[in-house]
Amino acid sequence: MSDFRKLVFRIGFLFAIPWLLLIVVPVIRYQHVGPVAYDKDKDGMDGFYPPAPIHRQGQLVYAREGCVQCHTQMIRAANLGLDAWRKGWGQDQGERAADPVRSNTLRDYLGEPVAFLGIQRAGPDLANAGWRFADRNKLHLMLYAPRALTTWSTMPSFKHLYVVQKAQGQKSSKALDLPAKYAPAKGFEVVPSAEAEALVDYILSLKKDYPVPGLAAAKK
Amino acid sequence: MAQPATNDIDSDSLRRAAIDRSVKGPVLFLFTNGAFWLMASTILGLLAAVKHVFPDFLDHDWLWFLQYGRLQPAHLVALVYGWGIQAGLGVAFWIMSRRTGQELRGGHATLISAGVFWNIAVTLGILGILFGGSTSIEWLEMPKYLWPVFLICFLAYAWPMVSMFARARNPGGFMISAWYMLGASLWFPWIFITANVCLHCLPGLGAIGAGVSAWYVHSTILLFFVPVGIGAAYYFIPKVTGRPIASYQLARIGFWALAVLGGWSGMQRYMGGPLPAWMPAVGAASGVMMLMPVGVVGWNHHLTTLGKHNLVQTSPSLRFTFMGALFYPISSLMFAVLSAFYTGASLQFTHAWYGFQIVTIYGFFSMCIFGAIYYIVPRLAGCEWLSVRLIRNHFWFSVYGISAIVVTSLVCGLQQGGDMNNPEKWNLGFFAVVGGIKPYIIARAVAWGLITWSNVWFLIHLMLMVAGLGRRSSSPTLLPGHDIEDPMHNLTHPTHA
Repeated sequence: MSDFRKLVFRIGFLFAIPWLLLIVVPVIRYQHVGPVAYDKDKDGMDGFYPPAPIHRQGQLVYAREGCVQCHTQMIRAANLGLDAWRKGWGQDQGERAADPVRSNTLRDYLGEPVAFLGIQRAGPDLANAGWRFADRNKLHLMLYAPRALTTWSTMPSFKHLYVVQKAQGQKSSKALDLPAKYAPAKGFEVVPSAEAEALVDYILSLKKDYPVPGLAAAKK
Repeated sequence: MAQPATNDIDSDSLRRAAIDRSVKGPVLFLFTNGAFWLMASTILGLLAAVKHVFPDFLDHDWLWFLQYGRLQPAHLVALVYGWGIQAGLGVAFWIMSRRTGQELRGGHATLISAGVFWNIAVTLGILGILFGGSTSIEWLEMPKYLWPVFLICFLAYAWPMVSMFARARNPGGFMISAWYMLGASLWFPWIFITANVCLHCLPGLGAIGAGVSAWYVHSTILLFFVPVGIGAAYYFIPKVTGRPIASYQLARIGFWALAVLGGWSGMQRYMGGPLPAWMPAVGAASGVMMLMPVGVVGWNHHLTTLGKHNLVQTSPSLRFTFMGALFYPISSLMFAVLSAFYTGASLQFTHAWYGFQIVTIYGFFSMCIFGAIYYIVPRLAGCEWLSVRLIRNHFWFSVYGISAIVVTSLVCGLQQGGDMNNPEKWNLGFFAVVGGIKPYIIARAVAWGLITWSNVWFLIHLMLMVAGLGRRSSSPTLLPGHDIEDPMHNLTHPTHA
């Protein structure tokens, strides 16, 4: 074998080890990861974990708008951060949750092409955002005029996902209830486009703290 | 390529000139387009930083696409693919041909076409991100149909580089900078194919996909940007100082340690997350162990430069390369701090990550590439740089700008992460927690503004050179130093050819 081939072989071989062990093998093994059934006796509930597929149409809007630049979808384990105790980051929206929110597992993202775990946090985590917005219209308002809710928010307004249309006859049932500062001209109303509805559906579907079979569910 | 064994300086110069002539077109093409994208990237970075703090800036209906979530990925894609890989390929190509002593034997049209398609792909990618085609996969945000174009264009350059190395008369001989370039041209396509096939072609990978995407970013940094940057430093520091590399042994250790460790990193970004715990753990371990090859290389560069620091003042190439080589250990330290669980937990999901990307791609890699460009372009264009002032302007604005961005991002990250993990703030609204990042991002915007200013002049200067409008002179453009009259200076001149 010539020196050149030996060199190329070594360069390739040294990279092939992490490539195989860290990428190829886990990717192949992941193909066999599927939903797990709850055990009625142990978990006290029926069905499968994770229960529902994601709302892909909304996730495409989420990706397109680059939400991942500021929002994560990952509750870290308690030894790495306060995520589990932060107010409103889990199902319990009370002042002080009784239990910490569980950190995320591999199966929480089952069926997603790529989990949007996020790049950095300039906004709150959205892994369990579905619990946080009881009111669909409030989420629309937040997307249309973020500073109408929190004056010092740095969230951009996603106005381009909404349509300003002339109000004809009775006001549309979907029209946003905007404070005066953000309201359109008189006789007009702001309604969400199909994309905005999909995005909101997606965010409301984010409840990645379903009980894990054999673990947290037993407490309830 | 039969060549009579001669040490005659004249025939050596002729040979170098022939090599330079053979690679001139493609290399200058890559540099000029790279410099354009660098300028575009700094402008996008400036806009993104402003929009991050003042989201209502330029809030016109027809500018609906100017949002942080679109500008930031567009900024990084322009920096990585438009500037980084493009200019890096140019430098790698030139160094490979010079170091192996091989002329480019034809295929110029293929190379230029590949360059043109690469730039079309970058343009479509950035427009795609801005106008709603973003995939939100870090560094692969461009619409997914573009990746085969990037791959084929890269291979069009990688293939001649590998065959030059294979044709070299003594490939087993010691050519550390060519090794690094060979590594980069073999590793990057491999990484790029793996990441794109996993993320775009396989059915959903969920959390593993996020891990693959983080691995892609880190591997590209460690196995493309780092080798090209170090390779350039290993070529130009001895070249300009006129001294051999201090220790071949250390150089070899540094190279193989990088090859061993480079592919393991990435998943530590999601420590404490859904990935199987061993994946972030090996990533963190390799991230910290990277300090070793970096230390070895840094020490070697230091020993090579030792006693020749006066040249850092006068030679633009050495000045930029030296600064890049200084930023390298800093970037590695930051990498170790971000990787280790103990410190990484407070820096995770903060702006420190952006600081690391910038210190590596701009502070370390780009400064080495600037040094290389200041050396290579006069030899290819046949004229000398026009203005000392423009070079100095470029140097100081870049150094201060990048340092400002890196320091503010790191401090910002410490504050952001500290506040997020501060038990006393557990029940505050999230904006009360991260509101503290605003001043740092404003500082970043100012820094990008300054860098944009210097990059505009760099681009103009480079375009004048490429157009052949540089100074007609046999002496290189040197920066005035206090020892310009040093007789040693003239002695080092022949090696400066």
